[in-house]
Amino acid sequence: MIGVVVFTHAQMGTALLDAVRMIIGPVAGAAAVAVRREAGVEELRQELAAALAEVGAAAHGAIIMTDMFGGSPANISTAFLEPGRIEVLTGVNLPMLLKFFSSRGNFPVPVLAANLRDHGRQGVVLASDLLPHGQA
Amino acid sequence: MSIILTRIDNRLIHGQILEAWVPHLQVDCLVVANNEIAAQTLQRTLMAAAVPKSIRVVIASLPVVAELFVRHELDAARVLLLLANPADALAAHRGGIPFAELNLGNLHYAAGKERYSCTVALDQNELDDLRQLEAVGVRITSRCLPSDADCDWKKLLDGGGQA
Repeated sequence: MIGVVVFTHAQMGTALLDAVRMIIGPVAGAAAVAVRREAGVEELRQELAAALAEVGAAAHGAIIMTDMFGGSPANISTAFLEPGRIEVLTGVNLPMLLKFFSSRGNFPVPVLAANLRDHGRQGVVLASDLLPHGQA
Repeated sequence: MSIILTRIDNRLIHGQILEAWVPHLQVDCLVVANNEIAAQTLQRTLMAAAVPKSIRVVIASLPVVAELFVRHELDAARVLLLLANPADALAAHRGGIPFAELNLGNLHYAAGKERYSCTVALDQNELDDLRQLEAVGVRITSRCLPSDADCDWKKLLDGGGQA
């Protein structure tokens, strides 16, 4: 089972996993790591390594989902990138994370990661774009 | 114009820089002087890719960045200069990068360091490096985010800084 670590600024990752559990119930192979204002890079690196171990990354691979490309979670995660086994995907959102749990059994890590990138993008919708022309 | 702010930040370019400091300072050039990142192609590429296209990015070793300043190649830019630690700040200043003020941003705690604030922890060597910079006239203050108060670093040392 492919694992996921949601690595974000503050408690956003924990909150996203709470939201997932509210929608689909208990999930396994998932962990959250938070950048705190006082946390050093080395400390965060160790927490990320522990979270990857917890979700079984060594045996089954994992995806690290971070909140923002260019932010500390993404910057720190890239040191763990092992294409094909551990992927780093930025811009995590709830549709992306839900799709991870519903499809992780069907694809190898790199295909799953690419699918989730596309699904996360499709999850961003401006509602007024859906209105017929002239009604917006 | 050139250097608008020189900051020690062990995360170099990250969220606080891109989302808080760049808009606050209205800089148009980010300069990272760091020997380790300069030598790591993937890290350097990813760090540069995160910066909006309207901002010029230079990520290079300390000597290469010093040379840019010595040759006045960045004089037309509004520069935010990022350094990873006090030793690099001292080396940069000695190498000819003309900063008169130094912002202490993220210098996080690790074993062997003393914690002076939420985001500033220093060991004895780092204290000595900063004292040497101060001795040659550099004004050193601590301010993690633009919304934080600018605090003279000596107040941190005296225990008078923010908790």
